[in-house]
Amino acid sequence: MTFNEIMNSPLLYGLVGLGIAYIILFCLITLKKAYKHALELGITREKLKLVITSSAIYSVVPSISIVIGLFSLASVLGVPWSWFRLSVVGSVTYELMAADMVATGTGYESVAALNAAGDASVVGTVMFVMSICIMGGLIAILLFGKRIQMGLTKARSKHGELGALITGVLSLAIIEAFLPMQLMKGKVHLAVVFTSCIIVLIHLQIIKRFKCLWLRNFVMANTLLLGMASSLVWIRILG
Amino acid sequence: MDKKYEDSIHRTGRIGIIIGIILMLGIPAVISSVYDVWPESAAQVITAGSGLLAVFIPTCIAEVFSYTPILGSSAYITFLTGNVMNLKVPVVVNAQIMSDTASGTEEGDAVATIGVAVSSIVTTLIIAGGVLLLVPLRPILTSPTVQTATTYLLPALFGGIFLSFVNNDCGDYVAKGKPLTMILPLLVVFGVNAVFPLAGMEGFVVLICMVLTVLCAVVLYKAGIIKMTPKEKKKKA
Repeated sequence: MTFNEIMNSPLLYGLVGLGIAYIILFCLITLKKAYKHALELGITREKLKLVITSSAIYSVVPSISIVIGLFSLASVLGVPWSWFRLSVVGSVTYELMAADMVATGTGYESVAALNAAGDASVVGTVMFVMSICIMGGLIAILLFGKRIQMGLTKARSKHGELGALITGVLSLAIIEAFLPMQLMKGKVHLAVVFTSCIIVLIHLQIIKRFKCLWLRNFVMANTLLLGMASSLVWIRILG
Repeated sequence: MDKKYEDSIHRTGRIGIIIGIILMLGIPAVISSVYDVWPESAAQVITAGSGLLAVFIPTCIAEVFSYTPILGSSAYITFLTGNVMNLKVPVVVNAQIMSDTASGTEEGDAVATIGVAVSSIVTTLIIAGGVLLLVPLRPILTSPTVQTATTYLLPALFGGIFLSFVNNDCGDYVAKGKPLTMILPLLVVFGVNAVFPLAGMEGFVVLICMVLTVLCAVVLYKAGIIKMTPKEKKKKA
């Protein structure tokens, strides 16, 4: 059998199908636990419904970008393994880089060249390397996840209002790290960031003025979609 | 935090991750056994993966330390299903806004986990849909227009969530002046990125920004510039 035949074999489809089913099961179990706990904490069902629907709606657009990645990955690694890798831990950039490094490490010019040569002997190496090299995060969360969260809870309760402030500002680091990098990537990136900001403000004004609370579910998804679409206009204007 | 729930959610998360790791290694093992395509040796795997390991081990570990304080218990699903920055972190921020809860609180943690679990299910189903509709969808989703637009996902995302971060909310408190803690870290990232591009080191940058933000928060609080007011007191006032 060739590289491509193994990577698109019914057996691999079956195994990946099981893996995907497991991911959904794991999410459902965690969802059930967290939902029950949220109700115990006094969060209303209406608010939880809002969280669920807005999370689901928001996730559609970025997920479509993952599907686009699936197409490029599937052409060199076959459909099922690409499907599994993009559903578990991976990202398109990592997977393509990993596959390419394995291919060059085994003497081929690129993963596309490996696929074209049909060398089945490296299938195991490709799959193992792609899995092992991304496991650092999983092992770290296994070892330190609970400790990090407990440390924060302890800091919050021990230091009173200062503890609340310290744990409350941690999430700001996301914006501080990523926003300048996006703004400095070029004129189009800068314009897209500002466009998205304005789209959010328009949504907030509409929600406030016309009291259409249902629109809150769509703010993130609309902003992402319109922000991305605006890039096509900005490219024409700014080049 | 409720000890029973805390133990239970972390136990579920850890078991989930272990099964995930077994699957990640088990699938290649089954394929290698059935088709007799095992790697020639462990050395071959290490040699082929050494460059990746050198880059990704520190990066992945830094991401865990950077994002877990924000993700809380949802970190297990997040790191198992991936797409941390473009999907899971915004979902957590959005879930906490929608439910009027704050990061670092028990309520904020529960809604973050709900949001991330729902998001992961939706993404998994959409990717599965993409596999089923591979042939008809390919020409649409690989068109130059769609491909160009998707390269601007991150600026669209950060422009969209930026305003959510500029507030005085701090769990049970209102922290007047809290956005001021962002000024120094933002300037540092702008400055460093101008002379030394930070792309690819985002995990480390987030970690450094966290330290800087906390330092700024402590200094501004001690100087009396950030003022904390319990929410109950604020309501009565």
